[in-house]
Amino acid sequence: MKKIFYACAVFAFAAFFGAHSAAAAVDAAKAENFVKKITDEGLTDIINSNVSQQEKDDRFAKLFNEALDLKYIGQFVLGRYWRTATPAEREEFISVYRQLNVKTWSKRFDEFKGRSFVFNGTSPSSTANQIFVNSQVPMDEGAPAAVVWRVRQNGDDFKIVDIIIENVSLAITARSEYTAFIKNSPDGVAGLIKNLKQKLAQN
Amino acid sequence: MSKFAALLFVLVACAAPAASAAENGDDWLESYNRAVFDFNMQLDKYTLKPLAKGYRAITTPDIRSRVTSFVYNMREPLSAVNHTLQGNVKEAAVSVGRLLINTTLGLGGLFDVAAGWGLERNTTGFDDTMAYYCIPDGPFFVAPFLGPITPRALVAYTADSFASPMYWGPLNDKNYADKISYSYAALVAINARERSLDLLDDLQKNSVDFYSTARSAYIQNRQKVNGHSLCGSDADPASYDFDFDMDEEFEYE
Repeated sequence: MKKIFYACAVFAFAAFFGAHSAAAAVDAAKAENFVKKITDEGLTDIINSNVSQQEKDDRFAKLFNEALDLKYIGQFVLGRYWRTATPAEREEFISVYRQLNVKTWSKRFDEFKGRSFVFNGTSPSSTANQIFVNSQVPMDEGAPAAVVWRVRQNGDDFKIVDIIIENVSLAITARSEYTAFIKNSPDGVAGLIKNLKQKLAQN
Repeated sequence: MSKFAALLFVLVACAAPAASAAENGDDWLESYNRAVFDFNMQLDKYTLKPLAKGYRAITTPDIRSRVTSFVYNMREPLSAVNHTLQGNVKEAAVSVGRLLINTTLGLGGLFDVAAGWGLERNTTGFDDTMAYYCIPDGPFFVAPFLGPITPRALVAYTADSFASPMYWGPLNDKNYADKISYSYAALVAINARERSLDLLDDLQKNSVDFYSTARSAYIQNRQKVNGHSLCGSDADPASYDFDFDMDEEFEYE
């Protein structure tokens, strides 16, 4: 009985401190600085810069690929279908998903012209090595828009793994959309990839 | 309302409201919802959307901004009442102050003078009040003409409509009461749709399943509304703090 009690106590101790050390593993200040740097770069070198649209698109693609962990997000977005997809499908999906995101967001990025991000600290995440960086974008009228950046730390490397705009997570929304499509598609993941390619061609 | 908020407003509403199917992730009315959603989209394509485009074509951004200010000013009495019901006396006073200032100095609400004086807009309604008192949202469904909604949101938006000054204000004038109410409702709908034109087009164009996108965004937004309640706690994890390693379908909570 004593042994069982001891084992439980050790387990509880490990779970408690394990959880805290996982949360503590994320450097909040560094994570916030990382997002600040990304947004500053986006505003200065892309939106407000005096270069051609093609150059802006190229810079955006580079920044997007450096800042976001699209492979990690893409895996989440496919949900359980990631497991059933073939390695070739996985690779192709990530590639198309990346291209579509770059194209879509590159077009919308100009809407941030004349705006800025006001950062207001971080919030812990229940997932180890992740943290939420909170920011607001003041609008022309009414309340500012809340934009939360979910950041994942891997050693000294930081990557954005989700962006939450007014409580709407882009990762969750994409997952809902893609898994619903796959569920209703006779071609499964291959059907999704084909459809995404068509979207890409239309852009 | 910001463009981001417009995303939610429209995405999810094209016309309005919301609620949390939030009890679980099942879309038990999916077949019905998809059919009504498609009907609404077709209706929008041939009615509200062309009207919104026409409205954009014949007005300048500044005129549209004045119209938006006017619409928001008409909501201030509703916000004042609901802030009071939520026990937020300070914000209720701000709403009253904004109404007085903008209706007079702001020329009937066309200009948001009060915001320049530090009285920022903080719109609320019966839906927020019901959420505050922990009244359940009920299941998500798509209402004909209205769009994504929940039972609680439907009740709340109906109450909002009847409590609007543009409904009870002209009631005594039998000749114009209906004309004023319906004209105002049309103005609100067209103005809201115009503000979401580009964003909705973009979302629709890039979505492989627009119904699922709209449903997901709508429910997530409802979680924000439902988060400000007496039953919640600041210590509760954010609704978007999901587990990245989860393998099964995402369950809305």
